[in-house]
Amino acid sequence: MEDPVTMHEFDRDGAIAELGHDADEAVRSDGHSRASFLMRGGALVGGGLALGTIPVALAGAAGGGLSKGDVSILNYALTLEYLETAFYADALRRGRLSGNAAAFAKLVHTHEADHVAALKRVLGSKAVKSPSFDFRGTTADQTMFLRTSMTLEDTGVSAYQGQAPNIQAAAVLSAAGAILAVESRHAAWVRYLIGKGGSPSPAPSAFSSPLSMSAVLSAVRGTGFIK
Amino acid sequence: MSNDIHPTLDELDVDGAIRETAARVDPVTRMAFMRRAGAIIGGGIAASTIIGGALPSLASAKSASGDIAILNYALTLEYLEAAFYKEAVSKGALSGELKQFATVVAGHEAAHVTALKQALGSRAVKSPSFDFKGTTGSASTFARTAKVLEDTGVEAYQGQATNIQARAVLRAAISIHPVEAHHAAWVAAIMSKGGTSPAAPAPAAFNPALDMKPVLAAVQGTGFISTMSTMSSGSSVSSNPAMTG
Repeated sequence: MEDPVTMHEFDRDGAIAELGHDADEAVRSDGHSRASFLMRGGALVGGGLALGTIPVALAGAAGGGLSKGDVSILNYALTLEYLETAFYADALRRGRLSGNAAAFAKLVHTHEADHVAALKRVLGSKAVKSPSFDFRGTTADQTMFLRTSMTLEDTGVSAYQGQAPNIQAAAVLSAAGAILAVESRHAAWVRYLIGKGGSPSPAPSAFSSPLSMSAVLSAVRGTGFIK
Repeated sequence: MSNDIHPTLDELDVDGAIRETAARVDPVTRMAFMRRAGAIIGGGIAASTIIGGALPSLASAKSASGDIAILNYALTLEYLEAAFYKEAVSKGALSGELKQFATVVAGHEAAHVTALKQALGSRAVKSPSFDFKGTTGSASTFARTAKVLEDTGVEAYQGQATNIQARAVLRAAISIHPVEAHHAAWVAAIMSKGGTSPAAPAPAAFNPALDMKPVLAAVQGTGFISTMSTMSSGSSVSSNPAMTG
């Protein structure tokens, strides 16, 4: 599309670009095993977290302090959740959806808003601000809405999946897993609404593929949705 | 569901590895567990070998016993799912969307079994025998049972993510976890005709996780595991679980 956002515009605080270095390169090349990340995670969160109460677990991670890498990953996730929340809010505001598509948008909007709230709470003052969005008419028509939703949800799944092994704090990893499963459920649901279980399949492959941060960011830029 | 056909944890957990892990993970603090993991793992597995969910071989001596136990736990759940869908498809009681769902998902679960067995090599547990107690014989009982199995599968993978020690294993587990969630949402969507009643495909903003013990208790509660296999072969040839239904 004609007006792609640049990385700089998207990543206002530089946190995401920093992570590209931090997590994708430095962290991996310095020879630290995942176990040593987890050890650090354990030291940070102090082992005092109750799994199963995910937003609470995230809040616990905030209290114990987050590594720079985790802050970047959480801000990356937050940006994607801002995008999804705004997309569904826009679709609901326009009122062009009916039946199951409307029910889907309404429920999924609350989930994405809950993800935003949880991520903002854990990041506190380190949370990036929401960009402004322009969904370019994709929310004004039910077919376009469903197709766009599928792309956003599939991308969300691959984005969380791609970052999970880079996460250092166990509490953050738990929360990412809880959100990853829900984005996967959204993706299967909207795929079902489009294809009734045929094509696109709600479960297109036996193994889900991760996407790197740079691949996700370039896909997001490609949509032109971020003003 | 009479008690005499319920497997004991001993029967399910052939090598004692699952119970050993459960016993260790629960009472021990996360920090101590992670510290031990650091000592065990020693960076012996290359993370980059995972492509499309393929697992690295974990049969080497360097592999952490905790990861072996987690993978065998996953393998046991995948054996159960794969056998369930295989039986449902072969019984022929399904039609339309449910038949399509069962056929696709049977293929996925079998692929998960294959990948996990490959990774575990000689350390893979054998498949138990199953008795699905007629649940594969009608569309409605099949759908309800599939939903329970898939929801449990999602929660089980999610519950182990923070216990996994090797990044390569985490990458593999986290490539299966979303697929189980796809399945769970798909069957819920069929049951609800795409809507939110009786079950929304995505009922909550945060998916719950389950520890190993409650998952194993739930599996035992179904009575679906009839006998543990006494297969003596160490062959890695895909062993289809015996069908007793």
